[in-house]
Amino acid sequence: MSTKKTNDDLLERLNLSRRSFLKTTAAGGAAVVAGGLVELKTAKEANAFAYEPYPKDDELETVVTSCAHNCGSRHMLVAHKWKDVIVRLSTDDGRYQRDGHFGKDSLEEPQLRACLRGRSYRQRIYSAERLLYPMIRVGERGEGKFKRISWDEALNFVSKKMIHLKDTYGPTALLDQSYAGASYGVLHKSDQIEGLLGRFLGMFGSRTNSWSVPSYQATTFSSRMTFGTIEDGNEDDAFAHSKLMIMWGWNPAYTFHGGNTFMYMRMAKQRGCKFVLIDPQYTDSASAYDAWWIPIRPNTDAAMMAGMAHHIFTNNLQDQAFIDKFVQGMDAGTMPDWAEGKENFNDYILGTYDGEPKTPEWAENICGVAAKDIRKLASMYAETKPAALKASWAPGRNAYGEQYNRMAAALQAMTGNIGILGGCAEGVGKAWHAEAVAYPYDQYANIWFQSIKSDRWAHCVLNYPNVKREEIGLWQRQDETDGQIPNIKGIFWQGSDWLNQLTNINKDLEAIKKLELVVCMDSTITPSGLYADILLPIATHFERHDTALPWYKGHYYIHRPKVIEPMGESKTDLQVFTELAYRIGGDVFGKAYNPKASRDYFHVNDNVDEAYLREWWETKVIPHQHVDMSWDEFKQRGVYKFNLDQPHVAFRDQIENGTSFQTASGKIEIFSGQLAQITDWKKTMYGYEIPSIPKWIEPWESLNSPKIKKHPFHLISPHPRWRTHSIFNNCSWLRETYEQEITVNASDARRLGLKTGDIVEVWNDRGKCVVPVYVTERCMPGVAVLHEGAWIDLDENGVDRAGNPDMLTLDEPSPAGAFAYNTVLCDIKKTDLEHRPGWDKLATSRAHVFRRDL
Amino acid sequence: MSETKDKAKIKEAVKRVKRETYTPVKPDTQLGFVHNNVDCIGCRACEIACKDKNGLMPGPRFRRVQYIEGGTYPNVYAYKVNMSCNHCAEPACLPTCPTGAIFKRKADGIVDIDSTLCIGCRRCEAACPFGAPQFDPADNIVKKCNMCVDEIEAGRKPYCVMACMMRVLDIGQIDSIWDGELETVAVGPNDEIVRQVKNMANIELTKPSIGFVPHSKGKVK
Ligand code: SF4
Ligand code: SF4
Ligand code: SF4
Repeated sequence: MSTKKTNDDLLERLNLSRRSFLKTTAAGGAAVVAGGLVELKTAKEANAFAYEPYPKDDELETVVTSCAHNCGSRHMLVAHKWKDVIVRLSTDDGRYQRDGHFGKDSLEEPQLRACLRGRSYRQRIYSAERLLYPMIRVGERGEGKFKRISWDEALNFVSKKMIHLKDTYGPTALLDQSYAGASYGVLHKSDQIEGLLGRFLGMFGSRTNSWSVPSYQATTFSSRMTFGTIEDGNEDDAFAHSKLMIMWGWNPAYTFHGGNTFMYMRMAKQRGCKFVLIDPQYTDSASAYDAWWIPIRPNTDAAMMAGMAHHIFTNNLQDQAFIDKFVQGMDAGTMPDWAEGKENFNDYILGTYDGEPKTPEWAENICGVAAKDIRKLASMYAETKPAALKASWAPGRNAYGEQYNRMAAALQAMTGNIGILGGCAEGVGKAWHAEAVAYPYDQYANIWFQSIKSDRWAHCVLNYPNVKREEIGLWQRQDETDGQIPNIKGIFWQGSDWLNQLTNINKDLEAIKKLELVVCMDSTITPSGLYADILLPIATHFERHDTALPWYKGHYYIHRPKVIEPMGESKTDLQVFTELAYRIGGDVFGKAYNPKASRDYFHVNDNVDEAYLREWWETKVIPHQHVDMSWDEFKQRGVYKFNLDQPHVAFRDQIENGTSFQTASGKIEIFSGQLAQITDWKKTMYGYEIPSIPKWIEPWESLNSPKIKKHPFHLISPHPRWRTHSIFNNCSWLRETYEQEITVNASDARRLGLKTGDIVEVWNDRGKCVVPVYVTERCMPGVAVLHEGAWIDLDENGVDRAGNPDMLTLDEPSPAGAFAYNTVLCDIKKTDLEHRPGWDKLATSRAHVFRRDL
Repeated sequence: MSETKDKAKIKEAVKRVKRETYTPVKPDTQLGFVHNNVDCIGCRACEIACKDKNGLMPGPRFRRVQYIEGGTYPNVYAYKVNMSCNHCAEPACLPTCPTGAIFKRKADGIVDIDSTLCIGCRRCEAACPFGAPQFDPADNIVKKCNMCVDEIEAGRKPYCVMACMMRVLDIGQIDSIWDGELETVAVGPNDEIVRQVKNMANIELTKPSIGFVPHSKGKVK
């Protein structure tokens, strides 16, 4: 709309031209004189709503705490409370740290400002979906009918069932599906591997573990193989020092991802850094950082990278000195002696063995990016120093996603951008190392009797005992139980909503019917919770004592006191497990599980929690990290920020001082010795072969496969900005900032006769969901984008009215364990089926995104 | 708000307004907002902070981040225009109010609504060219951004400004914003400031107290 038009419309609407508006004033002025009225001073400056009835911040009690969900960041929240009610939340404004003052926001100790999700926590704590009492299922599983029971009844029910299942089906009967959902802290830790639930079930003696991480298993694998560690990340402030930043599938404007990453990137831009985005979507990160957008077909990233490597090798642009010194298997000269004659990375790229040089033209054919652009980007990357290729997680959530991450590491290494300020080896991105463990940690921390790829549980349950170990990615064991297929009969969810979040929901729903016990521990009802037998209300992090640590970037601790008393009858998860331990195994189990607690911990936990935390601070944080702040001062301030003398850069020590990488060879292993020596893949947790050098491998579904005749769209499901996975989906404030909608390109929409706001059904052979469509030029044709985490809401035919993409995803993980969330073909059409944006129609009826097309 | 209205007081106010002239208040100093349309990532943390600060239910939104996008695949662009109330020099909302509930503060030029006088007639909502006044069905009155006067008076800055993760939203003395003198990280070293961008009403209507770092596609010639 032109300004002129806006203006005219307005004048018409108001029936008021600029001139007449002024005239009114003037005429009024004249009337004063004519009527002889006295001009009254009426502008009384009081009683405006900000003063009343809302108390001002300074009239309230201020308590520093933090957010606590599993998003990739961790920021400060400041609760302003009146008695036991949080009236509002603010965030870090520089006042709380040592030597702080209002507005202090230095580059070394920036403010830890919370994002929109963190700012909506009040809606989560005080939501209608809050679980306040233990509940037991009374209808069919999944029907959503529960009745309130006492804690005593609930815990007796669970403990009896646990004992029965273990006695009947053995040590693999209970599946641990805890995750970092809403409980992440140093004491109350819900986590997949070494969380409170894992320790509890392991000690109890019945636990099947879920080992693959939904978000980033591809890069975890890649970094372990390549660098020997997952701590491949730089601190956020290092990003201010790049001259070129390639955001590969990375959208920090949505995910934020660590401390102040996005802000330091702005600084880089102001210093002249050039940005490139490789992504099927022109994201808000592309616009904010003014990036060169290279749209790419989903799942074909490794091919494009191979094309870049070809250009670099054939033009001799690689940093040969760096390669010779630090890298194994990049070329013939860097292969280990024992592997002589095996294919190295250069061989693969030039096609020495397979007769297929991975030229930019070859890559163009696969990934849809013009060969000239591949060349241009390869030259830019090889010739700009320092340059950061940030290989984000999303392109790894694919069939053979690990190849993308391994290929990225090869590019990072061949350009010598590892271990230098402004470069990047990420990857996983885990940077500064925090002291993370205040909970009891001992030989029982991670006991399991079988461990499977996390999204294969339904396959295992439905096909037991006719399951091959490679199908479920069974982890090796050193005893006679190696290879035994777990007989899963029960599930525990702690801080996770995995039924809503794992792949192929329809298959999960089939499998859950076969179980004999489903326990859900959460602070809110979730879609998973509806399928539970028993719901245990868990106190949120505002209602218990803990300390927050950065999720993966940033260097600080934030104190998390008990801001308010636990709501309803909710208890902390540590209280619940401790009480269950006492009920199942008496003092022996109870004391072993929670050594500092006594029998009454279920009712009085403050002193014990304080003791764990104080011990953690005084025996770990202070001595290991040279912290000179006492626990009491920390508690009083609420935050401790480390002041690093230089930005933390992963592998700086290796590059500057020649220390070894943590791999077997001590080098960056582009040729992985570990993988090269595996002979029987079935006996590994991978199950299927993984090449020892990064290679492009055709995924099972993509825009290049013949399957597009039936399902012409490639569906990707990135992390949304307005939820953390499924958490916050019920918050009406956040709902005003977005709609769950499927994004398609305008040309595709024209063909299908769709316009923004139309309701479509999205389907493939695995399932169907219903959502509104968003038509834009910012998305690659042939690609459809639907954000993960919407709360499933099934109609009588099993169609999801909420628009959860995991109705369509396939529960077939990549060999290395990556979830193939983004390897999905689908079709789309206009529909009369009902879309329901949320369970609560009232709360979601005003969803309205301010968005204008020009 | 929720307290019962004093009908007599409102009648008195209406009478007074009828007799009164409207001369825009000339504030001693005028505060205003500055927003960087380019560097804003559109996260809407500012919006949520505002809703929490003001205890708003779903519906009314004092601060609104507009997503602008254009171009044709693959040559596209996008930027954000973020506005709340502009605390205009010549507020269009003010003279439309039949009870005189809307007032402009002499000290800092903030335009505020006296909630005890607002009868929820929504005339200001229609008059404001920027969509700032928001009807709150919960209280049956119109509310809008008051620049968090309570925070300003406490020596701090508004909630939205302090929420901005990118530090691209700020307040200051409006002349210093317009002439680039204000010390703020919202404006980068090479950024220019404009008063008018596309996607907003003509500033001549009310002379809003706001400055923008415009996107190249959002500039007005
Ligand atoms: S922006 Fe609208 S509501 Fe605010 S002062 Fe200007 S005219 Fe009034
Ligand atoms: S100044 Fe305060 S009331 Fe106005 S938009 Fe910002 S947070 Fe909301
Ligand atoms: S908080 Fe800042 S970056 Fe986010 S939308 Fe508001 S102005 Fe933009």
